[in-house]
Amino acid sequence: MCTPSTETPALLVARGLSQQYRKTNLFSGSVLAVPAFEDVSLVLHRRTTLALVGESGVGKSSLARCLTLLEKPLRGELLFEGQNLLKLSKDELLPFRRAIQLVFQDPTSSLNPRLTAAEIIAEPLLVQREGASGLRHQRALQLMGQVGLPMKWSDKRPLEFSGGQRQRLAIARALALRPSLIIFDEALSNLDIESQELILRLLADLQSEHRLTYIHVSHDLQLVSRIADECAVMHQGRIVEHKPIARLLEHQDDPYTRELFAGMSSVESILKNRFAEVVP
Amino acid sequence: MKYACRRLIHAALLLVAISFFSFALAQLAPGDFFDALRLNPQTSPQTVEHLRSEYGLNRPFLVRYLRWLESILHGEMGLSLAYNSPVGPLLLVRARNTLLLTGSAVALSWLLALPLGVWTAVKRGTWPDRMAECAVSTILTVPDLLIFLALLLLAVRTGWFPAGGMASLGANDLGPASKFHDLLFHLALPSFGLALVTVPVLFRHVRAALMEVLDSPFLRAARGHGIPEGRLLLRYALPVAANPLLSLLGFSVGSMLSMSLLAEVILSWPGIGPLLLEAILARDVYVVIAAIIFSSAFLILGNLLADLLIIASDPRIRME
Amino acid sequence: MTYRHKLWTGLILLGGIHTVILLAGFVAPYHFATQYREFPFAPPTRLHFVDDQGRFHWRPFVYASPDSGSPDETQADGKHRYPVNFLVQGCAYKIGGIFPAHRHLFGVAEPAEIFLLGTDEYGRDQFSRFLYGGQISLLSGLLGASFSVLFGLAIGSIAGFYGRWIDDVLMRVVELFLACPWLYLLFAVRAALPLHLPEWQVFTLLIAVLGLVGWARPARLIRGVVLSAKERNFVLACRGFGASNSYLLFRHILPQTYGVALTQMTLLIPQYVLAEVTLSFLGLGVGEPMPSWGSLLSYLQQYYVLESYWWMFLPALLLVPTFLAYKAVSDALLERVGAVSL
Repeated sequence: MCTPSTETPALLVARGLSQQYRKTNLFSGSVLAVPAFEDVSLVLHRRTTLALVGESGVGKSSLARCLTLLEKPLRGELLFEGQNLLKLSKDELLPFRRAIQLVFQDPTSSLNPRLTAAEIIAEPLLVQREGASGLRHQRALQLMGQVGLPMKWSDKRPLEFSGGQRQRLAIARALALRPSLIIFDEALSNLDIESQELILRLLADLQSEHRLTYIHVSHDLQLVSRIADECAVMHQGRIVEHKPIARLLEHQDDPYTRELFAGMSSVESILKNRFAEVVP
Repeated sequence: MKYACRRLIHAALLLVAISFFSFALAQLAPGDFFDALRLNPQTSPQTVEHLRSEYGLNRPFLVRYLRWLESILHGEMGLSLAYNSPVGPLLLVRARNTLLLTGSAVALSWLLALPLGVWTAVKRGTWPDRMAECAVSTILTVPDLLIFLALLLLAVRTGWFPAGGMASLGANDLGPASKFHDLLFHLALPSFGLALVTVPVLFRHVRAALMEVLDSPFLRAARGHGIPEGRLLLRYALPVAANPLLSLLGFSVGSMLSMSLLAEVILSWPGIGPLLLEAILARDVYVVIAAIIFSSAFLILGNLLADLLIIASDPRIRME
Repeated sequence: MTYRHKLWTGLILLGGIHTVILLAGFVAPYHFATQYREFPFAPPTRLHFVDDQGRFHWRPFVYASPDSGSPDETQADGKHRYPVNFLVQGCAYKIGGIFPAHRHLFGVAEPAEIFLLGTDEYGRDQFSRFLYGGQISLLSGLLGASFSVLFGLAIGSIAGFYGRWIDDVLMRVVELFLACPWLYLLFAVRAALPLHLPEWQVFTLLIAVLGLVGWARPARLIRGVVLSAKERNFVLACRGFGASNSYLLFRHILPQTYGVALTQMTLLIPQYVLAEVTLSFLGLGVGEPMPSWGSLLSYLQQYYVLESYWWMFLPALLLVPTFLAYKAVSDALLERVGAVSL
C-alpha cells in the first residue's frame, strides 16, 4: 500500500457525522433517542486500508451503514470525490452506489438463499441496468474466477457453499460494479482461522489489482494490525484516536485505546506478520 | 388497572367504529323493510312513503346514525320494524339466552378438553393418546353443520331430548326447581353440540401447552428431587401452563359465538342467531346492526378478559 | 404418515373429487332442475346384481314396472329388468358451461329411473343435484379463498413494506374486521346485498362477500413475513446497489410470502366451502332452482324430512371426504412451511 500523499485528493471525507435512532411511543407520545455515533470525522485516501475498531455496540456498524448510504445520518457532511453525498437526491446517488460497496458480517443472511450464485453476483448489474443478461452472466462467471470459486458452481445455491466460500461470493458481488471503496463490516469475524487467511490473501490481491480502498470494521485487533494502514478507535460513539497503525501500536494517547491495545504483543512481531504488500 | 382502562376505552372505540360501518353497510343495501309492502298492488305508494317517513327511513344517513346513537342512551338501539318495538329489550332477552348457551358450552368444553388434554399429555404415545387424537381429528373434519344436524336427528328419532326451544309448554306453571330442571333439559343438546365442536381445538392446545411444560428443565429437576407426579402436575406444571391456556380461554369464548349462531338456528334455541336470520330476511335493519354489535362486543370483551387474566396471573408481564 | 404421503394422498383425492364435480353434467344422469312430480321423496333406487332366478349379472339392473315406471321395487313379480347402461344419450348439458354434449356416464332406459340418492320433494334426483351443487359450493370456496388471500397478500405487503402510518391505518382496519365473529360478519355483508337475484349474479356476489370477510387474518400473517423479510441483510445489500422499492418487493420480499399464502389458501378453502354451505342452508345463498350442497341439506331442518327420509342425509356424508382431503393437504403444507400462529 502506498503512503497517502498529500497531493492526491482524499477519496472520502466525513465531517461531523452524527446519528440517532428515535423510537416514538404511540400512546404516551414520548420520544426515545438513542445516539449511535456523534461528531465523526474521517479522511480516507485512495488505495489505503482504514480499520475502525471498538467494542461491540459502539456504533461501528451504524457508521458503516451511513457510509454506504444505507442510512441517512442526522447531521454532517460526507464528501466522496468532492461531492457531498448527503445533499444528493435518490437518482443522483445512483452512480455513487456503484462506487461504495458493503460486505456484511454474516454471508448466509446477506445472500438470498433462493438465488443461484451467478444470479447473486450479477444482481448489482441487473439493478443498475448494466449489460444484457448474457453479458451479466459472463461477468458473474469471471468474478467467480477472480475470487477463487470454480465457475462450474455458478448454478449452486448459497447454502451449498461453506462459510468462507459464501463470503467470497459476497465479495464477488461487491466487485461487480467496479467500486472504488469496499467496507467490510466484521466480514471475517464469522470465519475460522484458515478461511480468514485465505480471504485476507484474496483481499490483498484484489486491492492491488483493482486499486481498491478498504474500510475494515472489526473488534479483532490482531487482525486489524496485520492489514490496516490507519486505525480509528471508537468509544461511546465518538472517534477517540485516529493514527497510522504503526504509530498507534507504539503509543496510544487515549486511555481507552491504551486499555484496548494493552494485551497486544510487541510491535516488531506484529509488523513481521503483516501481509507482504503492506509496508508502513 | 391503567392498562385495563386503556383497553376498555380501546374496545369502546372499536365498537363505535363497528357500529358506524354496520350502519354504512346497511345503507348500501338496496331496498328496505317495506319492499314487500310495495310489491302489494293494494297498497298505494303514498302509504308506503308515509310509513317510511314515520320510521325515519327517508332521512339522510348521518341524521339517522346520530339519532340511533342517541337511542342507545335510552337503551333502545333503534326500532325493530318487524316487531314494531325498540330493539334494545328485544335483543336483551335473546342475548341472555345466547350467553346462557355459550357460557354453558364453554364450561362443558373446557371440562372435557382440559382433563383429556392433560391426561394424554402425561400419557403421550400410548394408545389412549392416539385414540383421542384420532377421535378429535374426526370431529374436526366433519363440518359443524353436520354435527348439529346429526344431534337433531338423534333428538327427533330417540325422543331423549327435546328438539328445540328453551322451555316446554306449560313450563311457567312449574315450581322453580322443576323450571330449572326443564331448562337444563332443553339446554343439554345445544350446549353439548356446541361444546363438541370446540373440544378438538381446545384439546390440541391444552395438550401442546402441557407437553411443553412437562419437557422443560425445571420440571425435570423437580421430578429428580423426588416430588410425586400428582403434586408435580398440580402445583408445578399446571400453573406454568396456565398462561397460554388463559389466552386460549378468551379466544374460545369469542370464537364460540360464530358457531353458536348455527347451533341456535338448527337446534331452535331462541338466541341472537335466529333473530339475526329473521331480521336479514325481513330487512329489519336496526336489529341486524344491533346483533352485529352485540356479538362483536362479546368477542372483544372475551379477548380482553383473557388478556387481563394473563396479566393478573403472570408476574413476568406485569414487570414490563 | 410422512408429509409427502399426506400431501399426495390429499392432492389425488382432491383432484378426483374436483374432476368428477367439474364433469357434473357427464356423471349426473339427470339435469338438476328436472322434476319427476310422480316420485316425490323417492328412496334411493336399489341396484341388483342377482335376479329372481338367482342368476348373477355383471351389469347391475333396476326393477321397474313398465307402465308406472316407479323405482324402489324389490320384488320381481310383474316387473321388468332394466339394466344400467353406460355412456348413454341423455338430456343436453354443457361441459364447463361452454361445450354442449349429450352423453352421460350411466343411465337406464325409459320408463325406469335411477335415483342413486333418492329424490326430494319435487322429485328431483338428489345425486345429480349433489354433483351440480358441488360445482357451486366448491367453486365458491376456491374463488372466495383466492380472493381473500390475494387481497390479504396485497394489503399485508403494503402495510409491512411501507410501514409507519400506512401500516398503522391498515392494521386498525384489520383489527376492525377481526373484532367481529366471522359468521356474523358474513351474514351482515350478505344482508347488505340484494337477497333475490338471478343465479350468476348471486354467485359472484357470494364470492365477493366471502372474500371480503376473510382477508384480515392472511393480511396480518403476510405483514409479519414482510416485516421480517424487509430487514434481512440480502434486502439491505440490494438497497445498497440502488434497487428501487418495487424491485425489492417483487424480487426478494414477495417470494418469501408464497409459502404462507399457499398454506392460508388450503386452510381457507374448506372454511369457505363450509361458509357457502351454511349460507345456502339458511336460504341466503344461490336461489332455486340452482342447487348447492347447503340448499340440499336445508330440507333436513323440517321435522318430517328428518324423521322419515333418511337418504336426504347422504349428501352430508359425501361432504366429509372433501374436507378430509383438504385437511390432509393443509396439514402437510403446515408441516413443511412451519407453524403459523394465530
